[in-house]
Amino acid sequence: MTAHEDHDHDHGTEHEHPHSPIETTDKPGYYDIMEQAFQELMIEKGYIGADKIRHQIEVLDSRNPALGAKVVARAWTDPDFRARLLQNGRTACEELGITFYDLTELIVLENTPSVHNLIVCTLCSCYPRPVLGLPPDWYKAKPYRARAVYEPRKVLAEFGTIIPDDVEVRVSDSTAIQRYLVLPMRPDGTDQMSEEELASLVTRDAMIGVIPVKPPTRGASS
Amino acid sequence: MNGSEQLLKRLPNDIGGLEAPKIEQTDHDLLPWEKRCHALADILDFHKIINTEEKRRGVEALGSEMVGKLTYYERWIATFANIAFQKQLITPEELAKKMAEVEARWRSHI
Repeated sequence: MTAHEDHDHDHGTEHEHPHSPIETTDKPGYYDIMEQAFQELMIEKGYIGADKIRHQIEVLDSRNPALGAKVVARAWTDPDFRARLLQNGRTACEELGITFYDLTELIVLENTPSVHNLIVCTLCSCYPRPVLGLPPDWYKAKPYRARAVYEPRKVLAEFGTIIPDDVEVRVSDSTAIQRYLVLPMRPDGTDQMSEEELASLVTRDAMIGVIPVKPPTRGASS
Repeated sequence: MNGSEQLLKRLPNDIGGLEAPKIEQTDHDLLPWEKRCHALADILDFHKIINTEEKRRGVEALGSEMVGKLTYYERWIATFANIAFQKQLITPEELAKKMAEVEARWRSHI
């Protein structure tokens, strides 16, 4: 996993403050109060329903990379599904019961022995949230957004991923309505694995394209 | 590259292709208000009140100083307020009054 909490080394325009532990007795911050006030006003004036935000929080909480992993494992084991997924990412995910709660389109990019895909959103933080949940902070921060498009091999190397020179690296830049998901290559030595076991190998970072899916290891926890 | 023309050529969000430092693989769990803010953004988008691209442009319109100093969700809520004022959905006075109410409510509960 790649989480480093309160690890603030960003010197670019994406200043992220380290945050203190959550305590309800703390006075809410200025922006916290602003968010509450804004939401209440919008509800009072009838622009949004009172229960909509609470419900959407539940939807957000229900999304995580396990959904994307399920899609990838199905694509590895079902060639017809894989074809439909590459044809239209959104409708294929919907077949598996993954609803798209927004109007975004999903293009699934297949890694092959000759092509490696990487996704980014240079302008902001667009991300295939219905299938992966919310993006990690590094995806939203300046270094990744700035560099992924012009030195992807160096960026990948910082994630420990070395792409051979004869493999093409393709970088896809997301937009507000067009999102991408990488379909990683199925690792060797997984012929006997069930779809569920395969899904357990697939990580968030592999579906962003910064690492490959690693073959199963025995006993190792990482 | 330090001239003011750079501010025109590159709006704050337009950073693809710029030099930047090494990637720090950071992440954090959202604070409760940050998660509410994210859900709010989705609801505003669903109801076609403020869509994702309007939000992105609104963040950019905060200017490079605010984009640099506010955190991710601070930029979002500031942007929602600005756009709601522009669209005359709410007024700055109404928001200020409601913020005072929210704060007063918190004080009365401690």
